[in-house]
Amino acid sequence: MIHDYLVLSVILFCLGVVGVFARRNFFTVFMSVELMLNASNLAFIAFARLQQNMDGHVLALLIMAVAAAEAALALAVVILLHKQTGKLDTNVFSLLKG
Amino acid sequence: MLVDLLFTCFAVFSVLGALGLIIFRHPMNGAMSFLVTLVSLAGLYALLSAKLLFALQLIVYAGAIMSLVVFVIMFLNIQPDQLPAEKTKITYLVAGGVAVTPVAFFLLKVVNRLPNMPVSFADEGFGGVKEVGLIFFREWLVPFEIVSILLLTALVGAVVLAGKREKNK
Repeated sequence: MIHDYLVLSVILFCLGVVGVFARRNFFTVFMSVELMLNASNLAFIAFARLQQNMDGHVLALLIMAVAAAEAALALAVVILLHKQTGKLDTNVFSLLKG
Repeated sequence: MLVDLLFTCFAVFSVLGALGLIIFRHPMNGAMSFLVTLVSLAGLYALLSAKLLFALQLIVYAGAIMSLVVFVIMFLNIQPDQLPAEKTKITYLVAGGVAVTPVAFFLLKVVNRLPNMPVSFADEGFGGVKEVGLIFFREWLVPFEIVSILLLTALVGAVVLAGKREKNK
């Protein structure tokens, strides 16, 4: 049933939110954000199947492209911050304040 | 019958992978566990007859993006003492779970109001490369161009940020 897919997507999204909320390791927070994006992708594709309409697939493709861009930029910033401080804590992002 | 069995397997694996991601201490273990989630999500896309998305999830997400993340994790050569201490991790995980529960209930209520239908094999051509491509380039051309500009900006930005720079002039 299509509801099972949507419920799974809600569960994965909530796990991603908990990961962002509870962890301080930068990489884990980053991958939790990716997990939320993937949960939304699953919901888009389930809705596309429900409506017999492929616009949801296109949106999922766009989300993948945005995730790739986000990964490239975020990892560049992390390499810089790690060079600067030698830590992996999300707190060191306060260094980015002007 | 087989479809239900496959759905159960993929769903259990994806939830376990996500749990591993938010529980494991070292990011490398988390990344490997997240990879399990991504691959089982690709299986779920295949069950939903999204053939193009199934291939792209494996090639682009599990292949390219995650290998970039794993590459950076290995490149930084993280030692256990560099990781944040996170002594209150369990407390925060439980608190986060409690905080998110009302949102989850709201979303589940919304899901229950939607029409339901059994998942069977879709019509020939649903979700194939040609069909999705036609919709993409006919009706979604402007978002496609905007995303291409976004990717170009991210590329240039990453090179500028992570590349070598001269000493202050």
